[in-house]
Amino acid sequence: MASSLPAAPAAATRHFADDLRQRSDTALAALLRARPDLAAPSPSTLRSLAARASSRTSLERALARADALTLQVLEAVLALEPVRPPSGPISTEMVTWALGGSAEDGPLVDAAVRRAVDQALLWDAGGAYGTTLDLRTAPGLDELLGPNPAGLGPHLDPVPDGLTEAVGDALGSARSGTGTTAALDTLLAEAPPGARAILDALAWGPPVGVVPAAGTRPRDAVNWLVTEHLLVRSDARHVVLPRLVGLALRDGHTHRAAHTRPPEPQGRAVRTATADAEAASAALELVRRVRLLRQSWDENPPSVLRAGGLGVRDLRRVATLLETDERATAFVVEVAALAGLVRDDGDAPPAYVPTVTDWDDLDDAARWARLVEAWLASRRAPWLVGSRDDKGALRAPLSPDLQRPWVPRLRNGVLRVLADEPTGDTVLAPTPEAVVEVLTWHTPRSVPPATAVEGLLAEAEWLGVTGAGALSTPGRALLATPAGDVAGALRAVLPHEVDEILLQGDLTGIVPGRPSRELARLLERSTDIESRGAATTVRFSPASVTRALDQGETADGMLDELAHRSPVPVPQPLEYLVRDTARRHGAVRVGTASSYLRAADATVLAGLEYDPTLVGLGLVRLAPTVLAASVPAATLHEALRKRGLVSALEGPDGRVLVARRGVTGRAMPAPRSAAAIRMGTGSDVVDRAPDPEALVAELRAVEDAARAGARARADAAEVARTVSTSGGSLPLRGYRVVGPVTRTETPGDRPRQGALEPLPAADAPALDRPVTRAAVPDPDALDDDPGTQHPADGLALLRDALRDGSTVIVEVAGHTGRLERRELKPLNLDGGRLRALDPDREAELTIAVHRIASVLPTTSTP
Amino acid sequence: MPDGPLIVQSDKTLLLEVDHPSAERARRSIAPFAELERAPEHVHTYRLTALGLWNARAAGHDAEQVVSTLLEFSRYPVPHALLVDVAETMARYGRLQLVQDPAHGLVLRTTDRAVLAEVLKSRRTAGLVGERLDDSTVLVHPSERGHLKQVLLKLGWPAEDLAGYVDGEKHPIELSPVTKPRTEHEKAAAWEMRPYQAQAVDGFWHGGSGVVVLPCGAGKTIVGAGAMAKSGTTTLILVTNTVSARQWRDELVRRTSLTEDEIGEYSGARKEIKPVTIATYQVLTTKRKGVYTHLELLDARDWGLVLYDEVHLLPAPVFRMTADLQARRRLGLTATLVREDGREDEVFSLIGPKRFDAPWKDIEAQGYIAPADCVEVRLTLPESERMTYATAEMEDKYRLAASASGKKEVVEQIVARHPDDQVLVIGQYIDQLEELAEHLGAPIITGATTNKERQRLFGAFREGEISRLVVSKVANYSVDLPEASVAIQVSGSFGSRQEEAQRLGRIMRPKADGRTAHFYAVVARDTVDQDFAAHRQRFLAEQGYAYRIVDAEDLDESPAGSPAP
Repeated sequence: MASSLPAAPAAATRHFADDLRQRSDTALAALLRARPDLAAPSPSTLRSLAARASSRTSLERALARADALTLQVLEAVLALEPVRPPSGPISTEMVTWALGGSAEDGPLVDAAVRRAVDQALLWDAGGAYGTTLDLRTAPGLDELLGPNPAGLGPHLDPVPDGLTEAVGDALGSARSGTGTTAALDTLLAEAPPGARAILDALAWGPPVGVVPAAGTRPRDAVNWLVTEHLLVRSDARHVVLPRLVGLALRDGHTHRAAHTRPPEPQGRAVRTATADAEAASAALELVRRVRLLRQSWDENPPSVLRAGGLGVRDLRRVATLLETDERATAFVVEVAALAGLVRDDGDAPPAYVPTVTDWDDLDDAARWARLVEAWLASRRAPWLVGSRDDKGALRAPLSPDLQRPWVPRLRNGVLRVLADEPTGDTVLAPTPEAVVEVLTWHTPRSVPPATAVEGLLAEAEWLGVTGAGALSTPGRALLATPAGDVAGALRAVLPHEVDEILLQGDLTGIVPGRPSRELARLLERSTDIESRGAATTVRFSPASVTRALDQGETADGMLDELAHRSPVPVPQPLEYLVRDTARRHGAVRVGTASSYLRAADATVLAGLEYDPTLVGLGLVRLAPTVLAASVPAATLHEALRKRGLVSALEGPDGRVLVARRGVTGRAMPAPRSAAAIRMGTGSDVVDRAPDPEALVAELRAVEDAARAGARARADAAEVARTVSTSGGSLPLRGYRVVGPVTRTETPGDRPRQGALEPLPAADAPALDRPVTRAAVPDPDALDDDPGTQHPADGLALLRDALRDGSTVIVEVAGHTGRLERRELKPLNLDGGRLRALDPDREAELTIAVHRIASVLPTTSTP
Repeated sequence: MPDGPLIVQSDKTLLLEVDHPSAERARRSIAPFAELERAPEHVHTYRLTALGLWNARAAGHDAEQVVSTLLEFSRYPVPHALLVDVAETMARYGRLQLVQDPAHGLVLRTTDRAVLAEVLKSRRTAGLVGERLDDSTVLVHPSERGHLKQVLLKLGWPAEDLAGYVDGEKHPIELSPVTKPRTEHEKAAAWEMRPYQAQAVDGFWHGGSGVVVLPCGAGKTIVGAGAMAKSGTTTLILVTNTVSARQWRDELVRRTSLTEDEIGEYSGARKEIKPVTIATYQVLTTKRKGVYTHLELLDARDWGLVLYDEVHLLPAPVFRMTADLQARRRLGLTATLVREDGREDEVFSLIGPKRFDAPWKDIEAQGYIAPADCVEVRLTLPESERMTYATAEMEDKYRLAASASGKKEVVEQIVARHPDDQVLVIGQYIDQLEELAEHLGAPIITGATTNKERQRLFGAFREGEISRLVVSKVANYSVDLPEASVAIQVSGSFGSRQEEAQRLGRIMRPKADGRTAHFYAVVARDTVDQDFAAHRQRFLAEQGYAYRIVDAEDLDESPAGSPAP
């Protein structure tokens, strides 16, 4: 039906382009901001801008973002364009009338019109009417909005004489109140029965009807209507209601009612205090869960699926640990990854591991802020976890498959619906359906999927952005522009911290509030938590006390701390429990040895233990007649033979074995150290002793690269020696961190203590040190190797500080690669990691040594 | 209330801070709908369960009341989900009602057709209901009243039983204002029900049927007598054993208008059916050729009241029989609703909801039960026994540890510390007990002892003729030894919590001179004995009894009379 429209597209483009050309720079800039697709790639001329602005794809994009009112306005203008009075503009006022809007709707329609004009969806066809706009739709919009805008049929041009008579100037007369239907009623009075009903059926669209079978009464009515030009035959089987007739039947309106505002969302009112309390407990729970997740993955990193993501079994394992369902667990995993708290270690095969961050040093509220801010910008759709993709494969958490570019916009929309609710004593918690309804008003041409909205609402609830379904105060702070103090807002609604535990005779304890960090740590370590919430109920059991003892607690330490934190004396049963458990703890000890040595004569063994030639065997006396060794039995056997001592090999049952050539015994598997899988952010990954070929290739590459840049570095060496701080030039470069503590089977092999091992690389000459090191067993490489003194001034300083118990200033490469300067008191330097105390923040932290850019002595502490 | 005494947790536990000024008010307000789970020194734990909430509905409380109580006393905002859940759970009760239809007799009627459709669809209700009369009514066979209630409870749609009770055969029973003397020496004394006993009777009577939970020694028999007087009908009393049956009879004769002739004993020894009949569980559950031979007792008279003593011990067959007794008023009495078999919900659906409960310590504070000092004596095993223990088979370990030879000396020491007290030595293993009896020169009562001999020894102990008595688990329940003030437990049925409570109950009758009772558990250190002891003590610790632990070696130094710190 578009062919029956009078406006020729070519002519319109010219006008449209003129309109654009005449817009101010600010207006054009606003247009480009509103429709960013017009700016990229940047159009060469304004004409091409106009062409692009009227292109189908660009218009489609603009319409997808248009709200219901804007679409109504566009439809109204489009519908009115061909039937407009010859001498008048299509003004905003006329549009308001056409939409059936009341006087109050005027300003809203006006704003919608202005927005549409700003976005070049509407334009002003001429200045002939002074400041009054004469609105036209952007060329191309007619195609997108369909042949029957607002359900109105085609305009007949020229208007048949009879029709004009019958409906008159539908619009003009309707607006002037003379009543259009009067003439129509007169005409219809003569109509065959059923004619009126047919018109009424088509009046509000769709305007197309099927022609009834010949010879029936309805057919007579249709025939009569066609004769009177009230209907038009569009083809053999269909009739269509001409636009003017339609408008006349609608009393000159294009729409029944203007949808000027989004629908009021339905839901239930929640008290603000309740919402905040729920949010606070959700926030704490989430932080706790993320912490548990990190702990669990530190000890036991799950492998990455081949297609990326976390396997179902690992997800279930985490769900059990977190005591929640898989949906919530998937979200915890995702949000932890978003905040950079867990990641793929990039190893072969890859596994998910917690990252080294200062997150652990923050308080709950600040931790939460990290999580929630990461979530706010996320493009991930974790609610899809567990559903199947097109190929029927299960979608896994952390898989690349969950990336959806539209998520941030939808999240924004959902949160805006929540935020638009007025605050007071109670806040409305809209139902998901209500949120979808509101969002549908905002973008009727791209209705968000209900599952996504539900998913986002569930996420908001898990995060504590909402509580009991209503936006919480911390959630509001998160959405505020400029962003408010998110952590502070949460802190304000958290139940107050309690540093006290009421210990009871039945071996339970109750913290009547939110436990302080120290208390929480104590409880986590030494109790089983029975109930969590506004208060915490814990139970002491032999198992829980054993756990604390395993972590290095002592009975006295624990009882002292409990006594200190309890307003009542420690109940005697508890004291007995702790002391009894401590007494039994450690009664049986387990250690690692590769072989043992036993003899009936204790003096023989005493001699061996202190023999300097046997130092490499790692002999340890377990009992007067038993020594343990850290080398395999065969090696031990050989070494003893060499010393002139004839030993016999013993089988597992204690019988002497006949020594055969090549009996080596089975070596102990090297314990896997959690330290090894700790990793820095970015590319600074602690190496996990890769296979030798790869190592050599890597070293070669480093060498080549270094040779190329050697000259430049030689100049820099002087700076490096004074432990420079300039942008990440690491004085430790040239050293790679190897770990974990692996003990290899052959005694000739150097035990690697996760120490800093110098690379025989080209960096070395620049740093004035001997190039290579002999592969002599030297477990104390860190302390004795003269080579480490020099470039690693930093390390030396650290070690000095460690010895003196003084503080140093350490510059660490942060997440972003930026250097952070902190004053630290080193506590331990081992396994490529520095454990240190930050006196300012009263926090203990662990830093991978390779992330330390420089170390400076503190001037304040001599 | 920003500083209320109650903390409402989202896992549906309520923590009540006992020392809070309004704790007592809060306790009274939440008692109708929350179950007391633990009552240690400072913070009592209550739990909201579906059963508890339905009980509250049964007692006429509505969700609004529950919610407003929680909001009133809660220190922190109450979790929203919990409030919603409370309302939803409570709304489930009473959608189905068991009523007497004038035309059709017993019917199940609903106010919500969907619910009826749902439960009728369940396979579990098949056979329990009859013809469907209309959309919202279905016929129920009177004999399936109990089963149906049980099933509906399991389906989560508990029925409100409005079908009423049969009146039963009238038989006037009154409480006598003065006790009848037991012996010639004893004088008649004026007495009346204690306030909590009267409350318990009222609570039961208003509820129709149900369970009254009172500590051992708090006078459950009197509550039973009170209920009988209120009912004024023939009564069937079910008790655990014959000794207990005789005690019931004595007590009823002493405190009510009933005479010996009106009370019958239906036990292994005698089969009398009188207006008030006391039967043992054992005789009821006796089977001959696969049939319960004494089942007819239940229908022998038109009982107006059925009384279950020690309801926590009710054997499973009696549950099944009870299902058929739904038209009669039922009263269950117990000190601990803890059932080691976890069948609490059957007690609730077949006997009735809990109608009265009071923490032990409260009753102790009112002076109605003796204050008790609980001591766990830890005995370090000598090297040789430790070795035997360490290498023993798993199933022998407890026996070995529990009957450690060192316990003999410990018991002796403890007995020596209480020269003026009536001392009970309680244990599990007969040979151990016999050895102890010999060692102490005290008489012994075990399962092998004849009823007559038992009566004689208990009598002598009561009269103070003998002051030491060694007993096996036969004396766990329902043996009334008012003057016993020291109990020494040397071994028990593994980790049974209710056994521990019952044994403590033996010595909790208030003493004439207000003496503190002493309860000693002798435990072998570092063995399963100790683990079981810890489990056994859980119930009492939750009731507020703090155990003191004393090393056997330090026994001499620790003061005998001092109460727990």
